[in-house]
Amino acid sequence: MQNVKINSSQFLILVILFTVGTSILTIPSALAADTDQDAWITVIIGTGIGLLVIWLYTTIALWFPSLTYVQLNEKVFGKWVGKVLSLLVIIMAFLYTASLLYYSGTFLNIHVMPNTPLVALNILMMGIIVMGVRLGLETIARSAEILFFVFLILFLSLVVLIAPGIQIENIQPVFEAEAKKIIKSSIFYVAVASSNAVVLLMVFPAFINKVKHAKKSFIIGNLIGGIVIIIVTFLCISVLGPEKTAREIYASYELTKRINVGDFIQRIEAVSSTLWIISVYFKAVLYFYASVLGIAQLLNIKDYRPLTLPLGMIAVFLSIIIYPSISYQVNWDETTGTYFSLFVGVVLPLLLAVVYGVRKKSLKKDSGSS
Amino acid sequence: MKRYVFVLLIFSLFLTGCWDRRELNELAITLALGIDKIEGEYEVSAQVVVPSEVSPKSSTGSSPVTLFRAKGETVYEALRKMTNESPRKIYPGHLRMLVLGEELAKEGISESLDLLARDWELRSDFYVVIAKDKTATEILNVSTTIENIPANKMFNTLKTSESSLASTKGITLDELIADLTSEGKNAVLTGIEVKGDQEVGPSKQNVETITPSATITYDYLAVFKGNKLIGWLTERESRGYNDITNSVKSTVMPISCPGEGEASIEVIDFNTDMKGKFKNGSPEVDLTIEAEGNVGAVECKIDLKETETIDTLEKIYEKELKGIINETIDTLQNKYESDIFGFGKAIHRSNPKEWKKIKEQWNEEFSELTVNIEVNMKLHNTGTLSNSFLKRVKE
Repeated sequence: MQNVKINSSQFLILVILFTVGTSILTIPSALAADTDQDAWITVIIGTGIGLLVIWLYTTIALWFPSLTYVQLNEKVFGKWVGKVLSLLVIIMAFLYTASLLYYSGTFLNIHVMPNTPLVALNILMMGIIVMGVRLGLETIARSAEILFFVFLILFLSLVVLIAPGIQIENIQPVFEAEAKKIIKSSIFYVAVASSNAVVLLMVFPAFINKVKHAKKSFIIGNLIGGIVIIIVTFLCISVLGPEKTAREIYASYELTKRINVGDFIQRIEAVSSTLWIISVYFKAVLYFYASVLGIAQLLNIKDYRPLTLPLGMIAVFLSIIIYPSISYQVNWDETTGTYFSLFVGVVLPLLLAVVYGVRKKSLKKDSGSS
Repeated sequence: MKRYVFVLLIFSLFLTGCWDRRELNELAITLALGIDKIEGEYEVSAQVVVPSEVSPKSSTGSSPVTLFRAKGETVYEALRKMTNESPRKIYPGHLRMLVLGEELAKEGISESLDLLARDWELRSDFYVVIAKDKTATEILNVSTTIENIPANKMFNTLKTSESSLASTKGITLDELIADLTSEGKNAVLTGIEVKGDQEVGPSKQNVETITPSATITYDYLAVFKGNKLIGWLTERESRGYNDITNSVKSTVMPISCPGEGEASIEVIDFNTDMKGKFKNGSPEVDLTIEAEGNVGAVECKIDLKETETIDTLEKIYEKELKGIINETIDTLQNKYESDIFGFGKAIHRSNPKEWKKIKEQWNEEFSELTVNIEVNMKLHNTGTLSNSFLKRVKE
C-alpha cells in the first residue's frame, strides 16, 4: 500500500512519547487516590506487567512482519470475524483520539485559558494532528525526533529543579497500602500506559526498516516511558504529599508551580504544559493515524489521506460531546475505559494468539501458496 | 488567485484576537486577602496595589494600596461582588498574605479555604496568618514603613522573623491544608496584630513620624484542633514548637550563667529528629536534637578561655532547651489536648499497623504520650572577643 519506512530509533522515540502521553499529568493523582504514598510502587509494578503486554504484541506482530494489525486480524480470524475485531480496535483508537483532544483542551481551559471555548482549542490541536497524518508517518517520526530532545531537556531540568523539595517523610510508611489495592491500581496503569499501545501495531512491524531492532525498541521505549512516569509520580508524592497529589486533577502541573530556586527561577509551570502538549500530540497523532489507516484497510481503500479531513472534523465534534463533565471523564477512565482498553489491548491479542496456535499449519500453507 | 484568497483567509485567523488576553491595566493586582465571618456572611477584603502610586514618577503621595471590601454567602461570591466597588477585576496571582479573622478561625477555617486552593489563578506560595483579637480587615488597613506596600511588609517580616528568631512560623496554604487533613498532626498558624492607635493606622500620617502610631506585628502561634482555633501559645511555647518540629534555622537563646547573670547563645544550626515507636504496646516519641552555636554575648563573669566553661554552657543550654520543650509539650497535652507537633505522624511512619489501632482515639493517647528528649549542643566560637571586658570593669 505504501512504501513509508521509519527506522527503529525513530520508533523508539514514538513509543516513549506514546507511553508518557497523558499519563505524565493524570497518573500520579489517579494512583495516589487509591494507594496513597505507595503510588510510585504501583507504577513500578504496572510498568513490569506492561512490559509483558508489549512482549505479547511484538511476538504476535512478528508472525507476519509485513502486515498491520488490521490485516493480521483478517488473516488469522478469517475475513468477517477479523473485520469485526479490527473495527473494535479502530473504534478504540478513534475514541481515544477524541478523548485526548478533550484532555488537552480541558487542561488548557482549566489552567491557562479559562475563557477560550474548548472547541477553538480542539480545532487547533486537531488541525496539526490532521496535518501530521496527511504528511505521513515519516514526517511524524522526524518531528518526534526533534521534539523529543526538547521534551528530554525540559523533563530533566524539571527533575533537577524540583529535587530539592523532596521530603522523604511523605513517602513513608512504605508498603502501607494493601496488596490487593496495589495490584488493582497497577492494572489500571497497565490499561492506560501499555495496553493502549496495541494501536502501535498499525505501525509496527509493517512500516519499519529493521524489524528485529524495532522489537527491542518497542520494549525499551515502553520501559523508558514507564521510568519517566515512575519519576514523576515519585516526585509528586514526595514533594506534594499523597493527599495533595490525590486532590489535584493535574498533579505534575502543580509540582512545577513549586519550583523556586533562590526566588529567581520560579513560575515556570509553562514548562510542564509544553512537555505535556508534546507528548499528548504524538499520542493523539498515533491514535489518529491508526484509526484512519485501519479504516482504509478495513474498506480496502488504497490511500488513507482522503479520510483524514472528514474524520478529523468528526473527532473534533466527538471531543466536545465525549465527556459531559470532568467528573464523568475521571469515572469513565477508571471504570469503562480501563475495561475497554484491557479487552481490546489484552484479551483480543491473546485470543488472536490462541487462534493462531490452532490454525498455525493452515495459515503457514496459505501464506506459502499465495 | 485561488492561492491568494487562501492566504488571506489564513491571515484572517490572526485578526480574531485572543479570548483570554488581559492587559496589565485591566488587573487589580491583589497582594493580600482578608477573610472574616460577620453574622453568618463572609466578608472578604482585598489589598490592591495602586499602580500610579508605586512608581516614583507619578506618585502623588497618597496611599500605595487600597482596600476593597465585599460581603457574600461564599468567599467566591464576595470576591466577585468586589467589582461593584473596584474598577478592575481582582487578580490574585501575586497574592502574598492571607489573613483570617479570629472569629472565623474559632468557627472553623476550612470552608473558606477551598476556593483559594481551587482557583486556577492562585498559587499556593502565600502565607496564611490569623488576625489576633481583630478582624482581618483591620489588619489590612494599616500603612507601613520601609516596605510601603503592607502586604509585602507582612510577608517579609514573617520570613525574617521565622528564619532568624524562630518564634513565628510562615505557613503556606498547602502546608495548612496538609495539616488540616492528615492524620496525626493538627494545624498551627502565626498570629498577627495591630499595636497602637488604630484610628491613625489607615492614613498616610501613620508613617510620617519616626515611630508610626500603629504598627503591624506578629504575635505567637495559634493552636488548632481540627478545623477550629482553640488557643494561643506564649513566646516560649512557640519557640518550643519550632524546636520540636525542626523549623529552626537560626535563633538566639538567653541562658543563665553558672554564677549569676545571663549569656546569649546564637544557634547557627539546629536539627531535630523525631522518631515514633511502640514500647510495651504503648506509643512513644524520641526527639533527638543536634544543635551548633556560638557564644553570642556574655553578661556575666565567666572565663571563656577555659574549655570547661564552654562545656558548662553547653550543658546549661541543653538543660534549658529541654525545659522549654517539656513545658510546651505539657501545655499541649494537658491544656489544649491537640497534637500540633505531628507526633502521630511520626508514629504512623514507624509502625503503620499499630497506628491503625490507636488512631481513632489519638487525641486521648496524645495526652498520655511519653516523649524522650535528647539535646546535644556544640558551641564553637565566641565572637570576636575571648574573655569579656565585664570582668575588668571597675566597680
